[in-house]
Amino acid sequence: MTVSLKQLRKTFADGTDAVKSIDLDIEQGEFITLLGPSGCGKTTTLRLIAGLEEPTSGEIYINGRQVNDVDPGDRDIAMVFQSYALYPHMTALQNMTLNLTVSGLPKEEANKKALEVARTLGLENLLDKKPGKLSGGQRQRVALGRAMVRDPVCYLMDEPLSNLDLKLRELMRTELKRIHKKDKVTTVYVTHDQAEALILSDRVTVMNEGQIQQVGDPIEIYGNPANEFVAEFIGSPSINLIKADVTEDGLSAAGHLVSKRIISASNGIVTLGVRPEDVVLNDGQSDGLQGTIEFTEPQGGVAHAYVKLEHSEKVLKNREYLVVNIDVHESVKIGTTVGIQFRDDRINCFDSQTGLSIKPEK
Amino acid sequence: MRNPIRKAVDVAAVFLVAIYLAPIYWISLTSIKPMNEINSKEPVWIFEPTMEHYVQAFERFEFGKALLNSSIIVFSATFITMILALIAAYALSRMKMRGADVLSLFILSLRFMPAVVIAMPYYLMFLKAGLIDSHIGMIIVYVGYGLPFAVWIMRGFLKDLPKEIEEAARLDGLGWLSIIRRIILPLSGPGIAVTAIFTFVFNWNEYLFALYLTQANAVTLPIQIAKMVDAYTVLWGTISASVVMQLVPMVVVVFLLQRHMIRGLALGAVK
Repeated sequence: MTVSLKQLRKTFADGTDAVKSIDLDIEQGEFITLLGPSGCGKTTTLRLIAGLEEPTSGEIYINGRQVNDVDPGDRDIAMVFQSYALYPHMTALQNMTLNLTVSGLPKEEANKKALEVARTLGLENLLDKKPGKLSGGQRQRVALGRAMVRDPVCYLMDEPLSNLDLKLRELMRTELKRIHKKDKVTTVYVTHDQAEALILSDRVTVMNEGQIQQVGDPIEIYGNPANEFVAEFIGSPSINLIKADVTEDGLSAAGHLVSKRIISASNGIVTLGVRPEDVVLNDGQSDGLQGTIEFTEPQGGVAHAYVKLEHSEKVLKNREYLVVNIDVHESVKIGTTVGIQFRDDRINCFDSQTGLSIKPEK
Repeated sequence: MRNPIRKAVDVAAVFLVAIYLAPIYWISLTSIKPMNEINSKEPVWIFEPTMEHYVQAFERFEFGKALLNSSIIVFSATFITMILALIAAYALSRMKMRGADVLSLFILSLRFMPAVVIAMPYYLMFLKAGLIDSHIGMIIVYVGYGLPFAVWIMRGFLKDLPKEIEEAARLDGLGWLSIIRRIILPLSGPGIAVTAIFTFVFNWNEYLFALYLTQANAVTLPIQIAKMVDAYTVLWGTISASVVMQLVPMVVVVFLLQRHMIRGLALGAVK
């Protein structure tokens, strides 16, 4: 285990509970993401691991050693900041070698090490430049280089790509993935961008209001969310949440049977989570849920159709329209009435009161 | 065609600069005028320049000694003020401390007092401590009086430095003092320059404390120049020459420091 968090809590002086007792074990060589909306405690958790914040209670272990009272510089970790935090008065090379020289490595050796890292990042021609003379992407690489040159047991990355434009972000994302695949250094990565989390991570930790909602690999997080929050937070466009009644035959929405799953719910009501790609539209001739296509949003290869259901407000929990993925080449007429079916094996059910996932009985 | 408003502003600026520079020009001119032409009823513009006033300032009024005193006292006081101000301002701007804002305003409020109110207590204290008419005594007074203002200005500058840079430095293994020396100090150039200029200029021109607390040994330039006026004569030429010489170190210091006053040194650190 590279990093272990035991009942970690952080309450700030103003009384804000940023992190509420979290437990997390991060394996050697793992790329794990802390994902969640703003203010969910992900950055605070990262800063606690880094030693930039002191925990209110709980324990932090890095490589088996409890580090609660260890200075950030002695934790054998390297951090990449959202704002890069390069030293503006130092050259890229000095930025990269400061830690090495501070820890007593002779200057020549430090420079040699930095040059090796610079080569892998394509920075060798920029080493004598100061951050002010570098572009955003180059600064990001220097920040990454500064972390890599230290050879730490763990990288901590705080939204490192969020200041880059879309194209550069994609490029750097691939670069990060390549570096991780090559070096296999344990990485804790904070982001609010779910696409980034799903693409990069071995495991994703979804956080909300200072608590871990679910930890799992990207497929599990997407396909089997532990609760309504995770279901809704992951996926774009977000999942359709449908109010359904538990009946003897299965689950029904607005009086129409939508699933044959047998589920027991204390109050007879559940919330169904159906991803836009798990909705199938038909001609609307058969008896079932029906709706009218109000508009579509082409997104390149696919398009999203927004379907207004009869009594939408009674059926849909989180929005006005049912969102359905359709083939962009499929000719869909706005205003057409369509029948709606769900792929039964892909539906998620949640308790309507607690929001927790309910597994079907059969 | 240039904007007429812009043109008017330019003219006004030139006029303002002329008003500020006129006394300096006149005093420089007076310092090299022969005695009889200084005292003539009509202003004299063309004359044979002389260095006699400069010579007199040194020979008759011990200008050299006062210059040395001022230099020792003011440079030392400014240097010590800057070091203490940097450390105090860093603590006030960074360390999580209850009431840091109130405390910095309180520190500044020490400067609201008229100097004359504290000159007397200083005199009595220094009399007991044997610090009257000593360099150390004057340095203590100038550091004490200059520090609140210096801390306050420096705090404003340091608050603007991105916190992440220091956090990165902590992760790089630097301690507090190394962070100040290797990161904060090089990045606070503009703040340090501005504060040092204010502190230096104030100390260099300070008159009241020096008047109370010095007699012969530690007399500074403003006091020495004032001695050139006595009950019977005003030596305008010598005074002018001394003032010109007093101005020189100030101009040099400001000139040397002002190149650090460029903004945007921290550019490129974040985003």
